[in-house]
Amino acid sequence: MTSVATKRAPAADSLATPTAARPSGPARRRQGGRDAALWPLALSLLLLLLISCAALGPLLRGSAWWWVCAMVGAVVLIGAALFRRLGLPRAVIPVANSLMLVGAMTLLFAGGTGLFWLIPTSQTIGVFGGLITDGGASIAQQSTPAEVTLGILFLLAGGTGLIAIFMDLLALTLRWPALGAAFALVPLLAPGFVIDDGADIATLVVAAIAFLLLLRVDVYVRRTQAARHPPTGAGAPRAYRPERSRGPGAIGGALMVGALTIVGALILSAVAPSFSAGGLVTARPGGLLFGSGVSPMINLGQDLRRPKAGPAFHYTSTGTEQPYFTLLTLDEVIGLTWTARIDGADTRNTVDDIARPFGLDASVETEEASASVVIDGVNSHWLPAPARATSIDGLSGSWYWDSRTRAIASTTASTLNQKYTVSSLEIKPTADQLRVSGTDYPASVIGNLQLPIDPPPIIEETARQVTAGATSSYDAAIAMQKYLRSSAFTYDTDAPVEDGYDGGGVDVIGAFLKAKRGYCVHFASAMAAMARTLGIPSRVSLGYLPGVKSQDLAQGLGQYNVDSHDLHAWPELYFVGIGWVKFEPTPGRGTVPNYEQTADAGTPTTVPGAPGAPSAPGLSADRLADDSALERQTAVRSTDSAYLLGVVGVSALGLVLLLVPGGARRMLRRTRVRRIRSKDAGGVLAWTELQHTSLDHGIPVPITETPRAFAGRLERLGRLDPASSQALERVLLALERSRFDRSHAWVETLADDLTLVLRALHANASVGIRLRATFAPTSLFAALGTVLRGERRARAMSP
Amino acid sequence: MNLNPIRSNAELASVPSADAAPFKGVSAVDLSELQAAGRAIMRNIETVIDGKHDAVKIALTVLLAEGHLLIEDVPGVGKTMLAKALARSVDCTVGRIQFTPDLLPSDVTGVSVFNQAERRFEFKPGPVFANIVIGDEINRASPKTQSALLESMEERQVTVDGVTYPLALPFTVIATQNPIEMEGTYALPEAQRDRFMARISMGYPDTESELAMLDSRDTNSPLALISAVVSGEDLRNMMHAARAVFASSAVKEYAVNLVRATRDDRDLRLGASPRATLQLIRAAKAQAALSGRDYVLPDDIDSLAVAVLGHRLVPTSRALGHHHQDSGPVIDDIVRRILADTPVPIGSGASARSGAVPSVAQSPVHAVPPRPVSSTGQS
Repeated sequence: MTSVATKRAPAADSLATPTAARPSGPARRRQGGRDAALWPLALSLLLLLLISCAALGPLLRGSAWWWVCAMVGAVVLIGAALFRRLGLPRAVIPVANSLMLVGAMTLLFAGGTGLFWLIPTSQTIGVFGGLITDGGASIAQQSTPAEVTLGILFLLAGGTGLIAIFMDLLALTLRWPALGAAFALVPLLAPGFVIDDGADIATLVVAAIAFLLLLRVDVYVRRTQAARHPPTGAGAPRAYRPERSRGPGAIGGALMVGALTIVGALILSAVAPSFSAGGLVTARPGGLLFGSGVSPMINLGQDLRRPKAGPAFHYTSTGTEQPYFTLLTLDEVIGLTWTARIDGADTRNTVDDIARPFGLDASVETEEASASVVIDGVNSHWLPAPARATSIDGLSGSWYWDSRTRAIASTTASTLNQKYTVSSLEIKPTADQLRVSGTDYPASVIGNLQLPIDPPPIIEETARQVTAGATSSYDAAIAMQKYLRSSAFTYDTDAPVEDGYDGGGVDVIGAFLKAKRGYCVHFASAMAAMARTLGIPSRVSLGYLPGVKSQDLAQGLGQYNVDSHDLHAWPELYFVGIGWVKFEPTPGRGTVPNYEQTADAGTPTTVPGAPGAPSAPGLSADRLADDSALERQTAVRSTDSAYLLGVVGVSALGLVLLLVPGGARRMLRRTRVRRIRSKDAGGVLAWTELQHTSLDHGIPVPITETPRAFAGRLERLGRLDPASSQALERVLLALERSRFDRSHAWVETLADDLTLVLRALHANASVGIRLRATFAPTSLFAALGTVLRGERRARAMSP
Repeated sequence: MNLNPIRSNAELASVPSADAAPFKGVSAVDLSELQAAGRAIMRNIETVIDGKHDAVKIALTVLLAEGHLLIEDVPGVGKTMLAKALARSVDCTVGRIQFTPDLLPSDVTGVSVFNQAERRFEFKPGPVFANIVIGDEINRASPKTQSALLESMEERQVTVDGVTYPLALPFTVIATQNPIEMEGTYALPEAQRDRFMARISMGYPDTESELAMLDSRDTNSPLALISAVVSGEDLRNMMHAARAVFASSAVKEYAVNLVRATRDDRDLRLGASPRATLQLIRAAKAQAALSGRDYVLPDDIDSLAVAVLGHRLVPTSRALGHHHQDSGPVIDDIVRRILADTPVPIGSGASARSGAVPSVAQSPVHAVPPRPVSSTGQS
């Protein structure tokens, strides 16, 4: 019997529940051998992760972020492999991995607030919270390719780490590599949802190859293991020799799968509903798609909110005044939104032959100006060019001009890396000329008077109110411009991003006129809409402000840099005999057209694009700044307190969650003791409780051990004092009686004896074990573990 | 070494052999008395054989369980001494057969001889007609002679010339054999091996025991100093009591699982028979009774499994490996592995719930004193 007992020891250890002591002896050696063989699997998993992360490339600028993601992913996966090599129990590895991830994130992002740079402190949590908020906001505001801010980088790295943890858990711990690799789909699919092109095809192919490699490595590892340690038992997995006889061969099978995939994809693409968003997206002129650089209205807002402006283009101009560069003109209201009419995009109108602006009377003073433009970052099918361009030289590709809006576009070419020279007409009408222009508009302009059937009444009300007393269209326009530039309105690119307030739809204009807070898109479309209610033809142009002078060149010429923050929208109103005349209703942005000096009290101001720092001319500027600063401060304070409240709430929730397992375990124990006391069930219940408590305290409870052997082991642990030792004997006797005797005898002191033993077990354990037993009782998870591991473990781990 | 026969043949003839009904008129033995008697027997034997507590205990257990015992070990470790000491400690008839190559079946069972005076054949009972039969060096006799024991061991009767003679009760065969020296021996057929309840090996004594033996054996055979401590009647009563020990369904299930595991094991060519299950439970009952318990524990099964199952199993040649001759250690390891792999039925099984149903009042607290836990761990 003695030899039986010693023989059992390794079995007992290896049968230990996840948190139990390390397996010793042969079991441990075997474990080591097996885990050494998992390295190839871990490395191919890492490869797959890195490649799939690279698929995010088209969404983000630069490549530095990839290295950070790669580092975090490598830390997690290689760390897990090392843990395995050290013989850490499988169930602990995800936890250890999470801790490693937290450590790595603290090291990288906490800015030294962590303890030893690794252990997060409350300060670190604050920093992380800020980063998460920042990252979320950046993602919401930016359009692709997004500038990688620290917040976005934090989210990327954290996401990569989490994916790595899950991949490791599924592929290596549970040995479901195909399912684990499915997590690589997260970064692979993300581009498809955000941009039209989806992920780079080469990346997808390489990722697929990495996936296949992973599966191949898994099979290889399994075979090696099977050869080294032949599995035993009926349920043991076998991967000895591939069955070749049945089914199609390797190549035939591959062809079959490929054919099925292609046919399935064809059928699915025909049957499945496709994504087609309404509004601006559908209104894109046929073939004239916006690239990722610039897009109407909503995307314009997103570009303005981008924290770091990307260079758009630079130019030198011969004109006395730097022109606005128009990309496109939205001249029709379809549904509720401003859209570009598509019928004008006629491929016969090549840029080599641009007609003289329509409806321009000879009496209006004009100036011919030319600008040499070098595109730096704009990637669009729309060419930035001054309004009323007359000729364009140096373009590569086929470009056409729209006969109605004079926007210049291409169906095939892109603006990227273009260098061209634009000649354009600058018109300088006088206020008098504008005032006297009549209302007999040509037919082609009548369409620019349309409004939705039921526009918000506030538009017309406001327009009538503001223009009361105006005698001409021009006076009305000036009044509206003045009203919108007044201190009642605040320029704010962030203000009402949510709830569809972005963009210049007619309903949004209604909301904007109430809130009096918005940015150029709102101001421009509001003025255009108000003009239409007054019977003045109007449209909205999108384009760039003149930009900032960067250097002086010879002959009085200057080079101007235009970046993405110079994106702008402005209204244009039609005056008979003059044509389309631009106005500038956005406070603090652009230049107020100088048709009549007296029209606007302030002098024309050119404000370099700096969003979030609006400054308005005149007396109202200070108040405006004060107001916005105050508002900003309150907003910051309220977000601060909300954040604090969130932290407190999350901590409280975490605390509660932390206490849940321990509480559940305590309740279970109480119920059992009560039942034992109430003579419901005797020894077996007491024994179950004893076993579970032992499990909680890190004492393995193999099911193959007899109660007596288990009790003997408990005694030999030396944690029991004489009194509790005797109590243990009584509990053991009670179990044996109730389980193996004819009829179980009720022992009155059983509950007390049990309590005595449990207390002794708990009291004489080390602090760590006691904490674990109190807060993370293993026995609660043992049931889950049994389900997961099944019976196989009991067999597989036997010596 | 042909020692003096313990009883003369004349005495053997007078054995009451018509006692067909087992344990007629026995009085119930209290388990504590049984335990005390068992301890007395063991003490008695241990004055002769030092330091072999486990072997002695299993031998006594087999005796109580009405089984047969096979003692298998190298020469000179006291196999025959154990057999004789056990036989001496109990006051009952003892037969001794020295198995030699020329031994005939009739030398075992007895023979019909012609009585000239009465002019008819008269049956002369052989040495097998005794309560305890010591078969020394059993593998030296031919299989023909060994087979003579088959009927007597299983059916406790002898049939000669068409007449069946029942054997005495209790009837226990204690056979010894030497597994090392194979020259001129005949291995026991599997059928015969299966009839032995348990096989034990003595093993070498430790230094202390060997020194003590030198002192005690100096002058005379210690065997002469011991005498019976239990009467034959007492022994029958003890056996009866041991039979009455309760084996719960959980324990039975455990035994069946163990035996079934030997049949499925990939290292074994031949697993244990249903008879093995039966004898395992019987032996466990006897051991429980010897421990003063009136119910069997899985620990009883555990501690007996190697002795009861070991000699019935045949390992595959792969498992045997380089142990060409001696399969004993390999088999023992296999049985221990199976023991370590088989779950012990405790906890809330179906039988545990049904076991909780009987009314508590009916069974007062048993008179079994609680025993220290740790001491049983070594049993």
